Amino acid sequence: MKDINVIIAGAAGEGIHTVGDILARTISAQGYAVFTWQEYESRIRGGQNSYSIRISEKPRNAPLLQADALLGLNDGAVNKYKPLLKEEGILIAQRQSRKRMITIPFGEVAKEELNDKIFANTIAIGALTGVLGADLDTLNQVLAEKFKKKGQGIVQGNLSAAQKGYRQATQQCKGMCAWKLPRQEARYYLVSGNEAIPLAATFAGCRFIAAYPMTPSTGIINYLAKEGELLGIFAEQAEDEIAAINMALGVSYSGARAMTATSGGGFALMVEGISLSGMTETPVVVILAQRPGPATGLPTRTAQGELLFSINAGHGEFPRLVLAPSDPYDAFHKIVKAFNLADKYQMPVIVLTDHFLADSQFSVLDFHLNTVSPTSYIADPQKIRDYKRYQLTKNGISPRLCPGQSRHLVGVDSDEHDEEGHITEDLDVMVRSMVKKRLSKLDSLKQEISLPEETNVNDADIVFVGWGSSRGALLEGLRLLKQEGNKVGMIHFTELWPLPEFSFPNGKTYITVESNATGQLARLLRSEYSVSFKGTISRYDGLPLTGEYIRSNFNEYYR
Amino acid sequence: MAVKDYIREKFFPHIWCPGCGHGIIMGGLIRAIETLQKEKNDIVIVSGIGCSSRICGYLDFHTLHTIHGRALAFATGVKLSRPELTVIAPMGDGDAFAIGGNHLIHAARRNIDITAIIMNNNIYGMTGGQYSPSTGYGEFATTAPYSNIDHPFDFVNLAIGAGASFVARTTTYHVTSMIKIIEKAIMHHGFSVVEIMSQCPTYFGRKNKFASAVEMLKYYRDHTTPIGSKDKKNNPDLIERGIFIEKEMPEYCDEYDKIIKMASKGE
Ligand code: SF4
Repeated sequence: MKDINVIIAGAAGEGIHTVGDILARTISAQGYAVFTWQEYESRIRGGQNSYSIRISEKPRNAPLLQADALLGLNDGAVNKYKPLLKEEGILIAQRQSRKRMITIPFGEVAKEELNDKIFANTIAIGALTGVLGADLDTLNQVLAEKFKKKGQGIVQGNLSAAQKGYRQATQQCKGMCAWKLPRQEARYYLVSGNEAIPLAATFAGCRFIAAYPMTPSTGIINYLAKEGELLGIFAEQAEDEIAAINMALGVSYSGARAMTATSGGGFALMVEGISLSGMTETPVVVILAQRPGPATGLPTRTAQGELLFSINAGHGEFPRLVLAPSDPYDAFHKIVKAFNLADKYQMPVIVLTDHFLADSQFSVLDFHLNTVSPTSYIADPQKIRDYKRYQLTKNGISPRLCPGQSRHLVGVDSDEHDEEGHITEDLDVMVRSMVKKRLSKLDSLKQEISLPEETNVNDADIVFVGWGSSRGALLEGLRLLKQEGNKVGMIHFTELWPLPEFSFPNGKTYITVESNATGQLARLLRSEYSVSFKGTISRYDGLPLTGEYIRSNFNEYYR
Repeated sequence: MAVKDYIREKFFPHIWCPGCGHGIIMGGLIRAIETLQKEKNDIVIVSGIGCSSRICGYLDFHTLHTIHGRALAFATGVKLSRPELTVIAPMGDGDAFAIGGNHLIHAARRNIDITAIIMNNNIYGMTGGQYSPSTGYGEFATTAPYSNIDHPFDFVNLAIGAGASFVARTTTYHVTSMIKIIEKAIMHHGFSVVEIMSQCPTYFGRKNKFASAVEMLKYYRDHTTPIGSKDKKNNPDLIERGIFIEKEMPEYCDEYDKIIKMASKGE
């Protein structure tokens, strides 16, 4: 089957999120791979926003810009998004404005036939389900589940509304709608980055999160505040990001796994704490969900602008790990790795996501939970006679004990310290040994870093190099450019600091693809691998990279 | 356990200047802990940065010498994950109320069971005598060479306003009552703020024409009075000392436990 892209457009507060969510769950329950992403302005009411649903046989997990079907909840939304509707596409709206369209005055029907305007959106969902050729039964199940807490009356009202929309659409569809989405066997998890991360943290044995609200990271603490009690995670809303990271460090010092989550501005405040983590060798996992900056930037849009910031954040020199998962599946695995390695190397780990990864829903067939597990590295106090928190060791990793766990006292110091954690100015011996000890952890850490993913590199003349959440768009870009006869390949990084031992094959043209204006990945790789790049395909308008964007930019600038 | 069991003797002599009030406070803190017969292993001391925060190095408990201003945030994390431990945060006036002011008012609001000891010498000692949020109007500091035009915070009122459930003030002159107050503050189940006026002869004293540490101690004797005393009525400029607030309020960790029970029952 050919992929179908559905766009639902409406004003903030009009309920496009609920409409999109119900439709996505319905199609997913029909057995198809669904990918959703949203685009909205930073305001509570008004503005025109969109919710896109891509439907495919196998997971695509990348956005499309053009619509096969467009549902416009109001005239303004129809006007704003109609340019994205394909010639042969179908518009679903309340008022006739083109030939290929389904016209249903949702509001009026709801009021007149169901006595309540609140059912208008469900009529629209029913219509979309009809247009797409999916089963009304499946929609009914999703609706019943969604509204069951609101009582039988509301459920019934929604079911009748769905039926009305579905019927009217199928009648008007005759000869126009070619899609069929019959029930299939496959069952995908439909999950966003901000859902995968807290679940992964729980799985990894995290017991504490402190955070200050900041889009697009806020979904994580919202989720944990609601579910944390049941998942065994204490969720604390701190007074600011400085407090958030220091609280997490306090918890971690006490022996429990701890994390915090923020975006660029909040991360800027946490930088001092990152350095404290590095000096006191206290593990902490920081989720940095990127959005365009500088300053407040575009709060509800996406970017990959904090790569170099996260690698360099913190005064002084100390080891850290920076990961940038490509999708929720990868995020799950990377979060477990983040907690394990933070613990093992007693250092800060920064996990870069972005608005696109945080809020988009991806289809995942299987999380392969049996391939990852949490491993604790806290030392056994019974085996230690005289405890030294910062004992000098070969690999730089000292035994970590926690207060109250045994008779051993645990002292840590943010000043340069001796092996016992006591402030020192013994410049000759102790200071040098401690600096070396901390940095020597990097040697073994490097061995734990995965190589970048290579796709079609051997046969390619041109290789796109990307990182993080743009993997789906890159793969789509390759497909599109291959169809046009180009020999293209991809190298994709998800573990960015320290970088692994890797060499870029000779004789290829390399171009980075990044959601930032200055080509940060190119700068990083140039300095670490001495590889040269022909240039960067960059996107910095706050919208996510797409295969089409990569294709057209390549043709325009690099052919 | 005896007083000397609670200190790390090998790190003496300490770094404080002759006459500095901070040693007196350390003595008071240790004696309070001794009276309470706490195990070393049950106590976590979390300090920030500054002359006062160096107290961490000499006390033989679990000690965390963190960064400037952040002691309470760090301590909150420790307390949340190990509520059974006694968490004490000794801080300087700048540490607690300038750079760390936000953490202090929010810890007070949460009423988390931590004892904050504010070693208030009205100046930044470690960095060379700059004015702090408690340097008075018209007083002198390295950064206020022509006299300070800022008005000082009243720490006690600020802590009360922020919701601390135990608030007290004492001085390094009044050692006996200082020990009692610290004892009570540690025993108090909730957030306690103890402001201890402490002399810094090296900077505050020199810049503000105090001939010696002894002069400063005498100043504390002569310019303070017990809460609600007759002297206060006759001379409103006297600074009151004693326990201003000591009330039972829901403690943060206890409240969280309740929420867990409620949420688990809901399922
Ligand atoms: S500078 Fe002042 S506060 Fe610091 S040790 Fe000397 S007297 Fe004490």
